[in-house]
Amino acid sequence: MNRLKKPAQNRNAEAAWVSHTPESQIRHPRLLIRQMFRDLLASRELAWQLLVRDIRAKYRQSFLGIFWAIIPAIVTAVGFSIAKSGGVISLGETDLPYPAYVMFSMTLWQTFVEALQAPIQGVTQAKAMLAKINFPREALILAKLGQVLFNFGIKLMLIVGLFIWFKMPVTMSVILAPVALIHLIMLGTFFGLLLAPIGVLYQDLAMGLTLATGLWLFITPVVYPVPNEGLFGAVVKFNPVTPLLVTTRELATTGAVSDPQGFWWASALAFCGLLVTWVFYRIAMPYVVERVSS
Amino acid sequence: MIVDADNGSNIVGKFEADVRQDETDEVILAVEGISKKFCRDLKRSLFYGMSDIASDLTGLRTKSDRLRTKEFWALDNVSFELKKGEALGLIGKNGSGKSTLLRIIAGLIKPDLGRVRVKGRVAPLIALGAGFSPILTGRENIYTNMSILGLSKREIDAQFDRVVEFAEIGEAIDSPVQTYSSGMAARLGFASAIHTEPDIILIDEVLAVGDSKFKTKCYNKLHELRQKRKSFIMVSHSSHAIATVCESAVYLQKGSKVMGGETLAVIDRYENDLFLGKASKSLGSMSFPAKSAAESTGLDLQALFFRDKHGEAIDSPISGELTYLVMACIVREPISEVSAVVGIRELSGESRLLVYLNSWDGDRQSGQSKYFDLSPGRHEIQIEIPNLGLGLGLYTINIAIRRSKLYLLEKVDSFKFAIKKNPQQTSSSMFFMPHSWKHVEK
Repeated sequence: MNRLKKPAQNRNAEAAWVSHTPESQIRHPRLLIRQMFRDLLASRELAWQLLVRDIRAKYRQSFLGIFWAIIPAIVTAVGFSIAKSGGVISLGETDLPYPAYVMFSMTLWQTFVEALQAPIQGVTQAKAMLAKINFPREALILAKLGQVLFNFGIKLMLIVGLFIWFKMPVTMSVILAPVALIHLIMLGTFFGLLLAPIGVLYQDLAMGLTLATGLWLFITPVVYPVPNEGLFGAVVKFNPVTPLLVTTRELATTGAVSDPQGFWWASALAFCGLLVTWVFYRIAMPYVVERVSS
Repeated sequence: MIVDADNGSNIVGKFEADVRQDETDEVILAVEGISKKFCRDLKRSLFYGMSDIASDLTGLRTKSDRLRTKEFWALDNVSFELKKGEALGLIGKNGSGKSTLLRIIAGLIKPDLGRVRVKGRVAPLIALGAGFSPILTGRENIYTNMSILGLSKREIDAQFDRVVEFAEIGEAIDSPVQTYSSGMAARLGFASAIHTEPDIILIDEVLAVGDSKFKTKCYNKLHELRQKRKSFIMVSHSSHAIATVCESAVYLQKGSKVMGGETLAVIDRYENDLFLGKASKSLGSMSFPAKSAAESTGLDLQALFFRDKHGEAIDSPISGELTYLVMACIVREPISEVSAVVGIRELSGESRLLVYLNSWDGDRQSGQSKYFDLSPGRHEIQIEIPNLGLGLGLYTINIAIRRSKLYLLEKVDSFKFAIKKNPQQTSSSMFFMPHSWKHVEK
């Protein structure tokens, strides 16, 4: 019985013609936006499947498993704490106990970097699939972002442990912290999405990105408190990651947001940038696929 | 027809067949003047890619009908239509643009000119097992693979048992895919792809995998889907595969459509071009320069060629006809016990040895070993072939002429020739079988 029903269903579904033309989609912005959101909705289930696949595959071949998500933050914190207490490096005073400050900031920074790398990794890993099957390209990005959130979930255990160990103050504003965190992830995705199509074509990008994130870390207040003076202070302030990361940290701990204006500017940049790069990603992908061997 | 273990399918097949007559010939895929340019130089191609993205983003790109440096037309103004329930073959040599066309139809890459209109779900059987993760089990991989192909979890649940049954994976379904044999993985990939219930199925040389039993099963499944009025586009450079599945075909050559229409006519044209094209003048006869006395072994081969049933020298013998293979030679001194060995190989594919004839193995008429005692003068050693068994195609012959089985007099490697099609048989036959049709009432 079930099978006899099928043709009727199919007939409804296939009523629409889809056409592939050389014309630029930008010329039909309304259609483009409708398609973008339609594909985003359609890619939920696929994204979930890809996410489950990636997480399972990742941890089935690993002994330490989820601990890999928190080890880097601990190692960095231990390293900088030793260096600071030994007087090797001189950093300003932080409003939180220093090891906790570094570990928490490092976790946020890592989440940002993961979000930044997510689109590039997603697209590069799925090269073979992209070359052969036409599925909503958004699914790759969503799946990778899911993984970023999953990893953050694990890191959250570390953070909760930190708060208890160092008896850190928590205010009601902690409820707002995830909002700021999502803005931070969006900013990372914005940059990543911009680079993803080019990254498939030119290998230089992946190599350059590792270098760039290393440098970027130095102009972000992760291992040192926010500097207020000099050229360096200006550079750090101009870095859009700074207000988002700092606000997330402040909301989760003291609750006193030091730079709300910067936060909104950076958030606006992340929002608008993400929308624009999403369009760019969609338009660029066919040209990228064309140059990936099938 | 062998019906798959699926019980419902036959009923549906009949049900659909009844409906079929009421429906008009509904077009579900229209390829309208598609052109696509590619660049052979990688660096340049990457650069063009970036500039194409830029011009698309600014909306300036509408048409791109001019070639840039080092570009060529991979597809040039190709048009055809696919009707509901039709199976269409795309045939052409490697690099003729078949796969590119398929990728444009699948919506993977944008055409440079023209447009493709599609109605319904297109399932590419281009990539079997796309997104398979070797570490995960077969079960988990079916879910990912089928959702990449566009099914929801509920739809996959409904199809799951059928997929496993079709792939003949059995208990291994819960083992990691990396422990599977390549055949098992391919079967799982095909089974997942074919059970996505598509309206148009694109097949790109994928049926080359798996053992012959599974191949048969795949073809039966395709046949079953044909019964359900699904449409196919099948790409192959093998005319045999196309002839078995498709009723119409499009022949591509260097990106242009040479011919489209009924399969056999198209295949005929393709094979004629392939086998008897430009090279035909050098095929089918061979002559050798005269030798000096010092070089001569006593018997000099002058020419190799064929004669037809009237005794006329010809270049391309016709499959199934009475044919003579002629070795013309000059004998300088009396030679006794001359024998010849002829080996025929196919020129394409694995160049298998098809025929091996040895004059001392015994003759058709006498059953005796044949040795020739030759006196000085001109001679023709002929092999009479009443029904030339080889089918349409290109072949190569090795010949050795010996005295007393051992002493080599003359040797020729790779005498190439083409055999033309017999009007009684289609080109899908690999060899000619003498036959006649009869009807006996009992």
